[in-house]
Amino acid sequence: MSENIYYWQKIVGSEQLTIDLLRLKNAVAESFKHETDNYKQKLVYSLLETVKNNDQKEFFYILLRAINKPKENFSNLWIELKENYDIMPEEAFVNFAYSIIIGIMSTYSGGEKNE
Amino acid sequence: MSEQKLNITQQQSIRLEFTGNWFIDAGILGFTNLMEKVYGWSLEELNNKIISESDKVYYGYFPFGYIYDHLLQQLEKIKTPYKEEIKNNMHKIKESFMKTISNNFSSSSDIFNATWKKIDLLAKEIWIERKVAAIDKDVEKFEKKIKELFEEHKKEKYKKLLENLKEIKAKKGKTSKKSIFDVEEQNQVKEKLKDLRQYLSKLWEQKTDDEAKDNFFRIPISNEFFTNFLMFNSSCGYKEQRDGFKDLIDFNINNREILGKLDKTVNKFLPSESDFPNITYTKTSTETLKHRLRYLFVYLLCFTYAFENFEDMEHVFFYSSDLEFSHNINKKLRWYKKKVNLKDSNTIFKVTWKQIIDLLVEYKSSWSLENMYIIKYRKLSNKEQEGIEYIGIPKLQASILLDDHIRENLNHNIQSKSKNFERNTSWLLEEFIKGESLYPIILSHINLVLNKEAKLNYYASLTSLIVEANILNFRFKNIQNKKVALFSENHFDSYKSLINEIKEDVRYSSYSSSIIKQISKDKEIKERIARELLSALKARNKNLFLNILLKNLNERKELCSNDNLNNWIFNKIIVNKVSFEMYSLMLIMNLCEG
Repeated sequence: MSENIYYWQKIVGSEQLTIDLLRLKNAVAESFKHETDNYKQKLVYSLLETVKNNDQKEFFYILLRAINKPKENFSNLWIELKENYDIMPEEAFVNFAYSIIIGIMSTYSGGEKNE
Repeated sequence: MSEQKLNITQQQSIRLEFTGNWFIDAGILGFTNLMEKVYGWSLEELNNKIISESDKVYYGYFPFGYIYDHLLQQLEKIKTPYKEEIKNNMHKIKESFMKTISNNFSSSSDIFNATWKKIDLLAKEIWIERKVAAIDKDVEKFEKKIKELFEEHKKEKYKKLLENLKEIKAKKGKTSKKSIFDVEEQNQVKEKLKDLRQYLSKLWEQKTDDEAKDNFFRIPISNEFFTNFLMFNSSCGYKEQRDGFKDLIDFNINNREILGKLDKTVNKFLPSESDFPNITYTKTSTETLKHRLRYLFVYLLCFTYAFENFEDMEHVFFYSSDLEFSHNINKKLRWYKKKVNLKDSNTIFKVTWKQIIDLLVEYKSSWSLENMYIIKYRKLSNKEQEGIEYIGIPKLQASILLDDHIRENLNHNIQSKSKNFERNTSWLLEEFIKGESLYPIILSHINLVLNKEAKLNYYASLTSLIVEANILNFRFKNIQNKKVALFSENHFDSYKSLINEIKEDVRYSSYSSSIIKQISKDKEIKERIARELLSALKARNKNLFLNILLKNLNERKELCSNDNLNNWIFNKIIVNKVSFEMYSLMLIMNLCEG
């Protein structure tokens, strides 16, 4: 069952799944804020490439590899992903994936901040 | 006290008011327009007249005014050297009618009879000129008709007329010119024609009731719209015309079967009973309407007066559910059409909309939420019905237009087609009122800007996109949130909040989306990105659009982490599944602006 290769994917019957994308984005931003810009830029490029091809497996493979650092502050993001991720139709995946990507991008240094 | 109250109630009930049925209302407005045209009364004056002397208005002023105006129209079509003279005489007759009608009358029939005497005078000269024209056209045919009348009535006057005709024929035959009006200046012909006019005048003045049954004597009124209706029917004689008119005002269904139903004979917008027997509406008896609208057919007869005629091309009528408002707009329209050159229907519409918008602004919200329609037709006759359009102005659009800032920004012509096209611009306001989507227009406009074929109209484009996006969101929210139902208390208030949302969004989005300009200092790079984004947007591919956008942004770290831009892209494009296209286009637009 290659579809279930990632252990945290879950099937939610016919129940409508709504994802709080803002919470997801914030969790991503919080988790990545201590990483270096160069590292994040490269990560964003790789992620963008997978979303472009709607390659959900590859997207999560890269993402999970990036956050698989128990000593760092990724626990919140893990919880979010665990709660929200499902096999998604392309439209939902696009919104989901870009929320994560733009969350990472928001942590680059030098940007104007709203207080 | 109670008597006074009753009087006020009675007054209310006979005042002119719209009924809610548009073609009856068009008639009521037409009636108002006719009275204004002939007697110069405002709506208020007319209402006062109706309250104080209702019978005189419907049995006196109306029939006189109606025929007076129709005859004036006929006069314009007749070829005669006496046009001005006849017009002056008609004016004098009108003045004398005004004196007569101010007398006291014992019954409505008396008013009608006194009025008809004046109508008789009005019609005489035009009738004579029409007969002269008929002789000019076909003397033989005319002679034959006179011979028939002579055989029937055995009167000397017909014989004299016949002799006169023979002489005219002989004189006319000697000249090379065809029309007797052309040879009228020659003395001999002039004399004969003078005699002819006198004979005809006597015929008209001395016609008996028996003679008046013949359609030889008929008031020369015709109307494409009412071809076969009562007095307009060409086979109908003078007496029948008079009786028919009286029955029409009386709403006398017993005498006239035609007054018992509402169908195509009365109004070309309705189906005919014989052609559409399955439509129950055609079988509606007018009996029930009689109690509510005593003068229904008077109004229906004035139907065409509700429409403004533009250069014989289009007939346009603006309809709202309020008589005064409709009257004002149509009046403005009439006034304005004289001021501008109206060559094509596009201009007509612009003028129409402009008037509506001006008045909407003047009246503010009180009427803007009413239903409004524009009804237009090119040709309406028994056989042909051409170019009929009903255009409604949705309440939502009307309320948004009340905002000065939004309206001004939409009031622009924007180039949406290549210059090779004859009509390459779209008037945003018009498209908006018609309920058309503005997004495709702005998309084409920006495409042209990128191809250097047009100059960017930034604020008009920005407002269009934001207005459209917010309407889409508003509708989506209403579907999602079932509490906001059509009949809920806050239904109308929600429009107000929508306007605020639009204004807030203009402020937020214009700033946030403009940050994208900093993506590069090089104009060419920005245009390249804009082109790539536009092709993704054209393909409606949100994934590709975001991919191109974020890849390009990723090189400018400080832009990516700019809270305003970052949050805006997230809120307006990524999580927005209803109107992300409009906001995406906003980004492209900013890249084009340089």
